Amino acid sequence: MNENEHSNQGGVGAAAPTCAAAAAHPPVETCVSKIDASCRVPLLALFGGAALWLVLGLVLGILAMMSFHKPDMFADCAFLTFGRAQAAANDLLLYGFAIPAALGVMLWIFSRLSQAPLALPIVPIAAANLWHGGVLVGTISILLGFSTGHPWLEYPRAAAVLLFAGFMLVAVSAAATMGFRNHRELYPSHWFLFAALLWFAWSYGTANLFLVSNHAPRGVVQAIIDWWLTNNLLFVWLALAGIGIAFYFLPKLAGQPLAGSGYAVFAFLTLVFFGTWCGIPPSAPVPAWLPTISAFAALLSLIPIIAIAIIAMKTVWGSGTACMGGPFCFIRFGTLSFVASGILYVSEFCPRYSRGLDFTWFNFGVTQWQLLGFAGMILCGAIYEILPRVMQRKLPFAFLAKANFYLFAGGVVLYVIPLVIGGVEQGMKLRDANIAFADASSAALIFLRISTTGQLVILLGALCLLLNIFVMTMQWKLGLVKTFVTAVKDSLVEGSAYQPLPCDKEAKP
Amino acid sequence: MSDEKKSCCNPEAEPTVTRSAAPMWIMVVTLTLLFFGGLFMDSHGGWFDAKVYAPYRSADELERFQPKTGGSDAGARGRKVYEAVCGICHGNDGNGKPAQAPPLAGSEWVTAKGINRLTHIPLEGLAGPLKVGGKDWNLNMAAMGVALSDEDLAAVLTYMRTSWGNKAGEVTADDVKKIRAEIGGHPQPVNGEKLMKLPE
Amino acid sequence: MKTGFSVFLAAFVALGASWYGLVYGPVKQLGGAKETTILQSSDKWPLQRTGDATLGLQIYRAAGCAACHTEQIRQTGAVNVILLTDLGVHQPADFKEFMKSLMVVPELMNYSNTIVGNLENWNGELPGTLYRGDSGDAVSELGKRLKPLGIKTEAGIVARGADIARGWGYRQSVAADYLYDAPVQLGSLRAGPDLSNIGVRSPDANWQLQHLYAPRSIVKNSTMPAFRFLFTLRKKMDGQDAPDALVLKPEFAPAAGYEVVPTAEARQLAAYLVSLKNNAPLYEAPFTPITAAK
Repeated sequence: MNENEHSNQGGVGAAAPTCAAAAAHPPVETCVSKIDASCRVPLLALFGGAALWLVLGLVLGILAMMSFHKPDMFADCAFLTFGRAQAAANDLLLYGFAIPAALGVMLWIFSRLSQAPLALPIVPIAAANLWHGGVLVGTISILLGFSTGHPWLEYPRAAAVLLFAGFMLVAVSAAATMGFRNHRELYPSHWFLFAALLWFAWSYGTANLFLVSNHAPRGVVQAIIDWWLTNNLLFVWLALAGIGIAFYFLPKLAGQPLAGSGYAVFAFLTLVFFGTWCGIPPSAPVPAWLPTISAFAALLSLIPIIAIAIIAMKTVWGSGTACMGGPFCFIRFGTLSFVASGILYVSEFCPRYSRGLDFTWFNFGVTQWQLLGFAGMILCGAIYEILPRVMQRKLPFAFLAKANFYLFAGGVVLYVIPLVIGGVEQGMKLRDANIAFADASSAALIFLRISTTGQLVILLGALCLLLNIFVMTMQWKLGLVKTFVTAVKDSLVEGSAYQPLPCDKEAKP
Repeated sequence: MSDEKKSCCNPEAEPTVTRSAAPMWIMVVTLTLLFFGGLFMDSHGGWFDAKVYAPYRSADELERFQPKTGGSDAGARGRKVYEAVCGICHGNDGNGKPAQAPPLAGSEWVTAKGINRLTHIPLEGLAGPLKVGGKDWNLNMAAMGVALSDEDLAAVLTYMRTSWGNKAGEVTADDVKKIRAEIGGHPQPVNGEKLMKLPE
Repeated sequence: MKTGFSVFLAAFVALGASWYGLVYGPVKQLGGAKETTILQSSDKWPLQRTGDATLGLQIYRAAGCAACHTEQIRQTGAVNVILLTDLGVHQPADFKEFMKSLMVVPELMNYSNTIVGNLENWNGELPGTLYRGDSGDAVSELGKRLKPLGIKTEAGIVARGADIARGWGYRQSVAADYLYDAPVQLGSLRAGPDLSNIGVRSPDANWQLQHLYAPRSIVKNSTMPAFRFLFTLRKKMDGQDAPDALVLKPEFAPAAGYEVVPTAEARQLAAYLVSLKNNAPLYEAPFTPITAAK
């Protein structure tokens, strides 16, 4: 068996971990509960908001799709017209849910891997407030008609500044936590997540500086920059964050080491060097060199996707751990979704396929697969794994957490697959000029009906998550009040001492 | 072994990673894809030329598809301008549209021997009664020709005079230039009566 | 990847490279673009929009129209075509013989198989296709040789593609078309038809207003949402229709005594839609309209 790295944790020795070896090692030096507790408030701030925005984003998305099932529903209501509601829903899923949740998980992973408490915990709390404030301002702006008009960058300048400031603050805390690590060698998750910090800051900052400003470049350059940003956020950033998180939890939950640091280096480097050049669609009204570069890069981007698939499979293979609706299920489903949605995403840039896939529901379906099927699943699984540890109590509704997995899994399949198939069907009809446009559009309608039911199922799952987080927060706050009251009472009674919680008490999910 | 792992591994243990390199086959595949991709970029990329858009693959190919002189090119230009500017209201077939624009096919104003009155219409616009082919028309027409160059207006008037069965002589760019100079800076919309007062 | 610095460096170089190639490069190449001229003309392109149309673009953006409509035409190729439109005094049989003898001309030698093949298949009906292919030189040579004989031909470049066959445009969209768009509203989904040329297909602003108010009155099974919030429903003044009141079909018309009047936003949006035209050939997207073709 190969040599393992990190060997200062109790229970993990140099060779294959066995029961005897675990018993022989001394208890842990560093207090895991202290690390977890230091993350508590920042993570609650980030996860709580993220779960709320997830629910809101799904609701808005369903309301938007109602335009296709009942077109006159919002005829008199400018806020909920399809164009506005859809844009707001998309941004809520990415900026409201995926990014803050990923940042929260990143902070916890960094502090765990550093074996040190979270550095400067007040900073991410302030950051979370800024971030969620920005999302709120942005969403309301879109619904009121002040969107910038650039897909995935609709938040006006005020909201974008809040988001950027919040992100930079979290990045400072995360970088500091990573810097304080005892064990100097980095674990693969470190690379992916640390790169993600730079990635969002640079691409989001650049795109906003160029596009959401008074001196935006004229003409189609705006669309090019927007496509660059969309690719870097929806494909590369989600991949960096999601795979970084998956590479932490897959080995941990499977009980086996991650399969190969050299392999992971290769996957990381090919992802960042090739993945970032995709984005320009083949039909774009831009000089030919741009879509050609993107098509070339898309082909090469298959390499990291395949490499990550192989690493994940090798890590999980033979572990025999049943997941039973728990976080391991989420992470495995998410990683599988990454591979599937990644391959479909990359195929959009092939000139031959794009003739049949352009401007159809296919692109939307793949994006939702990346957001909900990949990022959503991995983040939810991570949240369910992390929350009981940082809150040091059990999940209030463990049954709902399990139901969450099945609802999400079924919902994502019902949501995304019809969109992909419907898009292909619509595209084939659009290619044939003899088929009237109305027929090509109506071919997709039945698929839209099925996919909206999928959205409803996902919404139910998201409500499970929100409920769990909300009740846990309330329980904790009540617990704080109780502890305070008890402490006050005890201090008034002479002789009794306030007993802090023993440090190594661990709560199992 | 896996049963033991399941029951006793410390769930708080941080994950570990084995030290193995990426397999050779994936490196080979990457290099192969890089090579073929490079060929693709070479053939389809247009060599970073700002004017070459897919499906054209090179500046030379784009040049081959530029319209050359040959055939009847003044007629082509006239038709192009007509369909872009006049055909919307007068119809690409020159038959006009009821309550929108009178027909040009067979119109005495279009096929008249002299070109002065006809040229005044697009340069000044119409407002007021006008008889075309025995029918009365009384609609407003903007001075659609003011934004056209002399060559384009001459081409489109020539096109009208030689299409849809009309058989009349051409209008030259110099004619248009002269008439434009006569009208000067303040064109006033004409009507049937005012047109008849002008020389043919 | 042993240190944080090496990770940062790798990410920096990777993202910097793509920033340079996909952001900085296009800004340098296309960002300072100025107006261009229409092919074989001195007219400028793109056309300037009226004030209402410019404001209408902002209404288009605010309502999120780009979520369902695209403003970009695609093209899969182009062909040089020369059609025979009038034989003059000549007979088809003589013409065929003459054409065969013409095939020794150096410019036409390479295409003789295609041209002779077309002629063999030609049944004498006009217009007939003399040549349809890649070579503009063959087209211009044929035109030059046939003109002095009184034989009328029509030469042109026809763009090919599904969008063009659908009548959505004459040629593909290029960067020059979007020069005055702020923001550019390319769109990525065709839940509704492409709008690059809607100003040519439906140039009537009233049609646009009717379609915005009640899409299903114009296209029966349309899934476009009705944009009634862009209009005002009000009581008729003195029982008379206002001049800009919408004329609607009975099932969509308001109750008796009421009328539907567009707001300023609706009129601006309609003006913007009517201004959307993509019918001029450019150097980078050449075409010449051929009306003689079927």
